[in-house]
Amino acid sequence: QAIDDDCNQTGQILAAMLDWPQGTFASRVELEDGAVRVQREVDGGLETLRLRLPAVLTADLRLNEPRYATLPNIMKAKKKPLELLAAAELGVPAGPARLKVLQVQEPPPRGAGERVDSVGSLLGKLRHAGCV
Amino acid sequence: AMAWRAAPRAAARLLLGRRRIASCIDPSTGLTEDQKEFQKVALDFAAKEMAPYMAEWDEKEIFPVETMRKAAQLGFGGIYVKPDVGGSGLSRLDTSIIFEALSTGCTSTTAYMSIHNMCVWMIDTFGNEEQRRRFCPSLCSMEKFASYCLTEPGSGSDAASLLTSAQKKGDTYVLNGSKAFISGGGDTDVYVVMCRTGGPGPKGISCLVLEKGMPGLSFGKKEKKVGWNSQPTRAVIFEDCVVPVENRLGAEGQGFSIAMQGLNGGRINIASCSLGAAHASVLLAQEHLTVRKQFGEPLANNQYLQFRLAEMATRLVAARLMVRNAARALQEGREDAAVLCSMAKLFATDECFGICNQALQMHGGYGYLKDYAVQQFVRDIRVHQILEGTNEVMRMIVARNLLQG
Repeated sequence: QAIDDDCNQTGQILAAMLDWPQGTFASRVELEDGAVRVQREVDGGLETLRLRLPAVLTADLRLNEPRYATLPNIMKAKKKPLELLAAAELGVPAGPARLKVLQVQEPPPRGAGERVDSVGSLLGKLRHAGCV
Repeated sequence: AMAWRAAPRAAARLLLGRRRIASCIDPSTGLTEDQKEFQKVALDFAAKEMAPYMAEWDEKEIFPVETMRKAAQLGFGGIYVKPDVGGSGLSRLDTSIIFEALSTGCTSTTAYMSIHNMCVWMIDTFGNEEQRRRFCPSLCSMEKFASYCLTEPGSGSDAASLLTSAQKKGDTYVLNGSKAFISGGGDTDVYVVMCRTGGPGPKGISCLVLEKGMPGLSFGKKEKKVGWNSQPTRAVIFEDCVVPVENRLGAEGQGFSIAMQGLNGGRINIASCSLGAAHASVLLAQEHLTVRKQFGEPLANNQYLQFRLAEMATRLVAARLMVRNAARALQEGREDAAVLCSMAKLFATDECFGICNQALQMHGGYGYLKDYAVQQFVRDIRVHQILEGTNEVMRMIVARNLLQG
């Protein structure tokens, strides 16, 4: 789930295209012989998977502590060459070729609320709406 | 015991968190993209590696060797030293920005690092190729630490009257005398010592590099200080201490000039450390004023305190401009650089002490407790008005420039 678009798709789609196992939201990675043990951050806590290699992993922020940039590296960064590539050079067709827009709709407008005059009638209405 | 750890972490959170609004005291205004990157690394390092420990280092008098070595790995061990011997080759202004940022984490440790940097620069600039290659790489990495030895029990402000003698004997010098108030003394490895090889006055002084372990080199007791407790301060004693001629920086009689040129940069660095402490203190005061309530309101609603805070901020920015202006002049080698460095050191150290002191006052009784970081900034920067040339000597230098220059 990258911080630019929050899509939570790139790693998963790549794994599906390659037909490789995936370990997403990795907070700990341990290499074994021909496999990798991945601890994942999931809603319910931590899940550990053992994946045969090759596999696709995506990193969670808890995987590592970012290094400090060193002063010499900061100065070198300015001098690194910036190579511009055109999409066509990489054989990538222009535009979202694999996506087709089926429908675009707004969420339903928020309806007006309803005032009730007693706790009894509130309970009655909630039961009627199937909420209780 | 957990309480005294909380306050520096609170300061660290403030330093890292307050990026949303461009405030009037933002230290990154007017900087180039590169300088902002240097500042960011230094601020991050200060907040994560220094601020959480500054109280403990002060209370237990710990010289944080491993933390300083981590800083050296980032390039902070020889910031304005040439890259061919391991330095970072940055400008005096870049250096000022970095020390100002590091100082927000621990002023005392940053001040020692600035002294170390000054010593490495002296060897880099005035040493011959053999000396540069022998000493600078291990100093830039902080595998070894350095001390600057000028002051003696009998000569502080009147530095040129120093008495430590260095008698030429064959291809060695034999040193006798002692130095006082040496930062890092006893714990550091390399000593840049100003001593008398010739007649009286500045022209009889030379600069020798000594190493711990040389016979005849010993140290006094560790001094107990009001602040700067994360660096040991000791007398350095020479008793028939034999030093090879190969350890002399520059020519005989050049030592005083080398010492003074080192101090020009040192004065900017010390002033920069004061700026960092003052900046951190203003943030602490700002936070306290919004949180603390009396008479039914946050202190921040009180006009007197609002005006006080505004004055503190204004003086901080003025001091910062003085220091950065002097740094630029020194970098460009301008004729007025030395006197500007003196003015900047005088102004910034005085103003910033006032700012930290006001910040302490704004904390009320809590400001006097060691659980709160503001008192340590006050104690640590008090000495900046005294060392590297007292603020009285700074006035002498400025007056001389006006009346004789």
